[in-house]
Amino acid sequence: MKRNVLIAIVAVAALSLIASAGTISGKVSGVTGESVVYVDTIAGKTFPPPATHPLIDQKGLLFQPHITVVLAGTTVDFLNSDTVAHNVFWPSVGGNKKLTHNLGTWPKGEKRSFKFDNPGAAPLFCNVHPEMSGYVVVAPTPYFATTDKSGEYKIENVPDGSYTVTAWHEGAKNQSKPVTVSGDTKADFTLSK
Amino acid sequence: MPTRHRIALPLVLVLMVTLLSVSSYAIPAFSRQYGTSCSTCHVDFPKLNDFGKAFKDAGFKFPKDDETFIKVPPVMLGAPAQKDLWPHTIFPGTIPGLPPIGLRYNTFFQVAGNSRNNFNAQLPGDPTAPFIPRTDFQSGLFSIFMAGNFGSDIAFWVDDDISVGGGPDGGLGDGYLKFVNIGRFLKLPTDALSLRVGQFELDLPFSPARSWNLSGWDIYDQANVGVMNPAFKQQNVNNPFALSNAAQGVEFSGGHTYRGYHYSVAFVNQNTSGNVSAGNNVPPVVGYTSDSNFKDIYARFSYRFNLERDPASRNEIQAAGATGPRDHTYLNIGGLYFYGRSVQRFSDEASGNVLTAREPFYRVGADFSLNYRTFNLFGQYIYGHDHDLLQVPNTFVKGTPATFDGGFVEADYLALPWLMTIMRWDGVNSRADRINGIGSTPDDSIGSFVSPFHSTRNRFTPGVQFLVHANIKTSFEYQIRPQQVVYDPVTGNALTKPFRTNTAVAGLEFVY
Repeated sequence: MKRNVLIAIVAVAALSLIASAGTISGKVSGVTGESVVYVDTIAGKTFPPPATHPLIDQKGLLFQPHITVVLAGTTVDFLNSDTVAHNVFWPSVGGNKKLTHNLGTWPKGEKRSFKFDNPGAAPLFCNVHPEMSGYVVVAPTPYFATTDKSGEYKIENVPDGSYTVTAWHEGAKNQSKPVTVSGDTKADFTLSK
Repeated sequence: MPTRHRIALPLVLVLMVTLLSVSSYAIPAFSRQYGTSCSTCHVDFPKLNDFGKAFKDAGFKFPKDDETFIKVPPVMLGAPAQKDLWPHTIFPGTIPGLPPIGLRYNTFFQVAGNSRNNFNAQLPGDPTAPFIPRTDFQSGLFSIFMAGNFGSDIAFWVDDDISVGGGPDGGLGDGYLKFVNIGRFLKLPTDALSLRVGQFELDLPFSPARSWNLSGWDIYDQANVGVMNPAFKQQNVNNPFALSNAAQGVEFSGGHTYRGYHYSVAFVNQNTSGNVSAGNNVPPVVGYTSDSNFKDIYARFSYRFNLERDPASRNEIQAAGATGPRDHTYLNIGGLYFYGRSVQRFSDEASGNVLTAREPFYRVGADFSLNYRTFNLFGQYIYGHDHDLLQVPNTFVKGTPATFDGGFVEADYLALPWLMTIMRWDGVNSRADRINGIGSTPDDSIGSFVSPFHSTRNRFTPGVQFLVHANIKTSFEYQIRPQQVVYDPVTGNALTKPFRTNTAVAGLEFVY
């Protein structure tokens, strides 16, 4: 009996949570290519980072994928799949140059990892191949999405409430705007370089 | 030739050689093909880094897994499976997916010191005598070059100066095919034997054709031309050979330039007359360049000690630094030897016979290069020796050999990835130079028109180079030349106090 009651309570709680979660969707215009949209820091709330490590591969003199979005606190693995020596460094995170870091050199097939604790975009470079670049965009919340080819995005399972939503694009100025989420909510951005 | 011309012409030639003889190349075609920056292979183009050396050694390919880096797929000249049908079909190869063409242009501005016309001014006037202005804008080279790989480890290179000094064609630089690692057919170790065929720069320790300096290294341009001069220690050598000359022939080579041993042996034409011959009964394809039966021989051996503490890193193409790959700390030492036979033919006035003077000559040299991080100290010493046969009625007698020696030491420091400072000293001590300039000085122990002391040519050349972009470079060079004195050609009295003719040169070049 007690067990059935417990199940019922959990089910009701889950349903109520789902019922109060919405989506943020819209379009990022003014730029071409992939953009990132994320819900900015929510006061008083922290989110545990995922146990899995996203992988960024250096292959064919490219960072693959070019843009990786992670939750703050996530550990990212960097793999060298090329037969040439590579390096990974970033001069700043979110424009903060004190967060510069150089991961060094490692041979083909090996990985090095780094835990990104600070929100913001970290531009990735290789100091022997200046044409190589990539980005780790560190979002302060797990509510983020990347745009498709047409600039459309959709962030799902965002609890109802008022937030600041930020759009980021490579080489463009970030744009933030307040958004009140209640069910399906629209937020469009127009970025400029 | 009037004395003042004899004096001034070499000076003008030196200036022209200084400014115009250096052909340097970075290869935009490779940038396009691999989608990578010039700095993948170059420190300060065209100076190669360790990876660039490995790329060149491999036949203009990435040393491993080349196909995975190519952004523009090559065009297949036959399906790869056709290899199985050979010899009943043409062995398939590839050509680059993009025309592997690069272009280069450079331009200069030169400022010459106040004493630039001292020689001309001190001698009886001649309106046709060269005049050296204080400043001058100069067009340099407009060059086209093509390089790449045809598959099956067959590399190619062709470069040609379309225009030199704003004038007409400067001619072919290098044009060759290189069959890389043919030693595999003989079960030799990898890269132990390659074959290069065509016209090419000799495998010198430091390539004059791909020099990053505004002015060339003097010792590589040193010819040995000693005029018949009864008034003094005459010579009868007329050997225009200089190590920087492009040579026609074949070259066997092996090893690597980025670690361990490297060798090359080349057999090339000797052309003493400067003419190209043809014969009605044996029509050549385009003319006979050789004017001698003998093929000159060039050999070089070097060994590079990579000095990284980490054994794994030591054997890699680039060293693994704490903050990223970099060039190795290394010591490279090497030696070169060239043996040839200069041939001159004379008509004997008494008998009317043709007299042939075969004057063997050799060049022997040693070199080193020490690299620590972004600091590179390197140098070259060369001794040259030409047998001297003086013409007397109906025969020759042995004269004083025409010799020279000298070299250079250069220190390059890459202060920033886009900024390199250079300190360099060049010196050449040539007996032929002294004799050629005898008209201006009565005593060769004092010196000739170029220098009164010891060396016939020497200079100290500080410089700095900036990469505006990866493919645009501006360079500055200040050439501090030795003290000189102008002597009265008749009395031998000094007409001037010792002076220097220093020059400042600025260069701007781009490749695309």
